[in-house]
Amino acid sequence: MGSVKVSELTKEFSGVHALKNVNLDIQEGEFFALLGPSGCGKTTTMRCIAGFEQPTSGIIQIGETKVNHIPPNKRNCGMVFQSYALFPHMNVFENVAYSLNIKQLNSSNMAAKLPIYLRLLNRKLGKYPKPIEQKVMEILQYVELDKHATRLTSELSGGQQQRVALARALVMEPAVLLMDEPLSNLDQKLRHSMRNTIRRIQQDLGITTIFVTHDQEEAMSMADRVAVMDSGEVKQIGTPIELYSRPSTPFIANFVGTSNVLKGTVVGQENGYSVVKGHGFLIKSTNHVEQKEVNVIVRPENIKAFKPGTISSDELTNMIEGTVLVSTYLGSIVRYDIKVEEYQLVVDTTFVPGEAILTEGEKVQLTIDPERVLLI
Amino acid sequence: MKNRLSSFNGLTLVKVLIYLFFGVFLLLPLVSVFLVSFTGQPINLLGSITNSNILQSTIEKFSSASFDNYEKIFTNKTYFSAVQNSLELAILVSLIVIVMCIPIAYGIARTTMPFKRTIAALCTIPLIVPTFISAYAIIIMFGRAGWVTYIYNSLGGEGMLLDPYSMAGIILVQVFFFFPYALWPMVAAFKVSDISLEEASLNLGARNWFTFIFVTFPLAIPGVISSALLIFTVSFSDFGTPIILAPKDLNLLVVEAYREIAGFFNWGGAAILTVIMVLVAAFFFWLQHLFTKGKNYGSVSGKPKQQKLNDAKGLTRTLSVYSLAIVIIPLLAMLSIVLQSLATTWGKNPLPNGYTLSHYQTIFTSSMGNIQNSIVLALGALILSVIIATFVSYFVVRQNSSKLDFMTSIPLVVPGIAFGIALIQTFNTAPLHLTGTALLLIVAYTIRRLPYMVRSTMGTMRAIKQDIEEAAVNLGATPLTAAITIIGPLMLPGIAAGSILVFITVIKETSISILLAPADWAPMSLAIFQNILRGEYYTAAAMSVVLVIIVLILQAIANRISKNQL
Ligand SMILES: Nc1ncnc2c1ncn2[C@@H]1O[C@H](COP(=O)(O)OP(=O)(O)OP(=O)(O)O)[C@@H](O)[C@H]1O
Ligand SMILES: [Mg+2]
Repeated sequence: MGSVKVSELTKEFSGVHALKNVNLDIQEGEFFALLGPSGCGKTTTMRCIAGFEQPTSGIIQIGETKVNHIPPNKRNCGMVFQSYALFPHMNVFENVAYSLNIKQLNSSNMAAKLPIYLRLLNRKLGKYPKPIEQKVMEILQYVELDKHATRLTSELSGGQQQRVALARALVMEPAVLLMDEPLSNLDQKLRHSMRNTIRRIQQDLGITTIFVTHDQEEAMSMADRVAVMDSGEVKQIGTPIELYSRPSTPFIANFVGTSNVLKGTVVGQENGYSVVKGHGFLIKSTNHVEQKEVNVIVRPENIKAFKPGTISSDELTNMIEGTVLVSTYLGSIVRYDIKVEEYQLVVDTTFVPGEAILTEGEKVQLTIDPERVLLI
Repeated sequence: MKNRLSSFNGLTLVKVLIYLFFGVFLLLPLVSVFLVSFTGQPINLLGSITNSNILQSTIEKFSSASFDNYEKIFTNKTYFSAVQNSLELAILVSLIVIVMCIPIAYGIARTTMPFKRTIAALCTIPLIVPTFISAYAIIIMFGRAGWVTYIYNSLGGEGMLLDPYSMAGIILVQVFFFFPYALWPMVAAFKVSDISLEEASLNLGARNWFTFIFVTFPLAIPGVISSALLIFTVSFSDFGTPIILAPKDLNLLVVEAYREIAGFFNWGGAAILTVIMVLVAAFFFWLQHLFTKGKNYGSVSGKPKQQKLNDAKGLTRTLSVYSLAIVIIPLLAMLSIVLQSLATTWGKNPLPNGYTLSHYQTIFTSSMGNIQNSIVLALGALILSVIIATFVSYFVVRQNSSKLDFMTSIPLVVPGIAFGIALIQTFNTAPLHLTGTALLLIVAYTIRRLPYMVRSTMGTMRAIKQDIEEAAVNLGATPLTAAITIIGPLMLPGIAAGSILVFITVIKETSISILLAPADWAPMSLAIFQNILRGEYYTAAAMSVVLVIIVLILQAIANRISKNQL
């Protein structure tokens, strides 16, 4: 019921290609993140799924149904807006009850519509039926807001407003939950705790969720799978671990965590290693690729730094020499910017108390495990 | 195509209905009147669609269409002088108003003039009084038996200081009752003009008056010109003053057009005069827009610059006395009406001979119907404009419907009397025989005042974020339900302020009421007008006071609402 399939989705805004042939296959119950820099088309993708934008071409399916021609009010996608979009003239309870009222309105005859309209316009004009009241209070308890049910939404904190928006979307039992950068308006601390709350609720309800963010840490820590987008295209889809360990392009390698990217040419094979020659370095990798011209990707934590002469002989593969430019103490790790020929590499080493930190200008020897060298 | 159909929802239907409404009640009458100006005989466009006989005769009329009427503007002396006099009146009024307002505007904007608040408060009086009541007040003051005439004669003057039944009388009323329309934009213009240039001028040793003439004033000129153009249009379209004060031998377009239709049923003549009125008003309206484009004097954004105010004692005192002397005149006019309404009789004396409440008793017993009519008609127009304006602003703001935006501003340039004539001409036969019904009256009021209502609702609509509405749709509401349950309630403050404005202006409305109101639906304005014509001055005065009080109360409520909004 709750799977989402997007095929060859293209969206043009008066000549601007906001989306180009986007394909997504989201499983039922999956927590799926859309990750990408500002303006890459995340919101547009989500608005196409919710029905607020008509695709220029392409097919959108929710469950087994093609929804391209279903208006947004009939798609049963719960959406949490970046600005929350709470109804300012309604209190918490009424905000959450809105979709239930609408559902009742649509299923009742002319005469029965009037009292529903009245209570939608003003709470004093009509009583809520027991089932609606119960359901709303239940979900409010679930997001721990039952004590604030009669407050106006403007009287709530940012995190509380966020939970109202979530409850309002969840109460209609949507097939899919859509969230557009729901945490971007919260401060750092609250963001961390809301991550856990959202993830917990999603797991509890097993609801298919599409989560838009430009914060890679958010996407990696919450999602089952992540789609990385750039300028209207999906660049790679995978689990956080896949994306981190096997990025398919230098852009993703840099967008998902930090990477050192060196250009080189494969010059041969040796004992099962590919040998890559670049400007002033020769590096071995367990990776094998078809093409000759490659990008050598190495994560900062996969480079080891030694004072000259302190390397044990079994670590001598992939040894490069350089000079420390900057060293930054970041608590549990020390980050070095190291100049190697024309390149500047970022290297993270674990900080061991009592061990001296390399200082600026110092000569340094670096080694890289060939298994951690990615060629793309 | 499928796509089109599925998006044909309730809202689209509403949009079509609104277009239909404007099409039938605004465009059709204007087009018809334009055609009649060529044919000289009434044209029934709606009938031509529904009935083939009418179509036949319409085609015949077209075959005899000519520029005769247009030639008449130059050959017919009455028409020619009407155009001439109307232009002359409007030009004189706007020039006098501008010259008169410059010192007041400068005083308010740039000096520490004493009594600023009092002056500003008195400036609101002219805006709440319908012009035909102001015109009548001038008769009470300056007429043969007026108290001004009495004072003038006892000081040794001969005859009347100024004959109210003359061009001068009309100018007097319009100048003193229209000047606030120019004053506030001019105040804004003086406030905006660059203070640093003035300081530079003063630094260079220039004197104050020199700085004013060569630096301050030139900088304010665009604002001043735009004010003058506004006054021109207002004066040119005004019907209330001339219909009361214009003597038989003074032809003015509005009066002449009214006579052609109400007196002689000369459709061709009325049509050509209407066309001229609309064209002139539209032209000046356009000119004014040209001058204000890109210069929003009303709402200067950001922090107002800290300006040094001129506090030279002699200057500020003189300005204050001058300003008070001007703004006191509308107040005196209103007091004269109040006194007249309380007088047993009032001959050529400074004060009435005795006081009584019997005139009020009379109107509350015999004219209660007029008050009721006014309220019912105004309510009808209010409801209709609330509904239309809410949806129009929705379409304009949310769907960028610039065509609707344009259509709802057309009434701004159509003088009331011209619109009335167009309506009578179009709806006095089947299939839509509405002339003489309260419905047409309400529709006419609504269309005429809709631009103000739309402006008010559009402001609040702009403040409502689009995603709030999308949230409602996302939660299952159709766009129409979302509009009713979410947008509607959020727009309430704007709607309330706008609808009070509509109510007030409908109660004040003169030209449409006089032209279109049937006897059994006569509103207060028409009753006062008829009383004045019949010489029942005391009851006219009492009714005027009641009208002004209603307007005053509503205005106070409206101010309250818009203040709370901020
Ligand atoms: N209504 C519109 N009209 C024209 N262009 C649009 C419209 N909406 C979006 N775009 C364009 O489409 C592209 C994608 O926009 P979108 O809002 O999907 O980006 P986003 O990934 O959500 O960015 P952000 O992280 O800043 O929210 C942008 O270049 C944007 O300028
Ligand atoms: Mg976005």
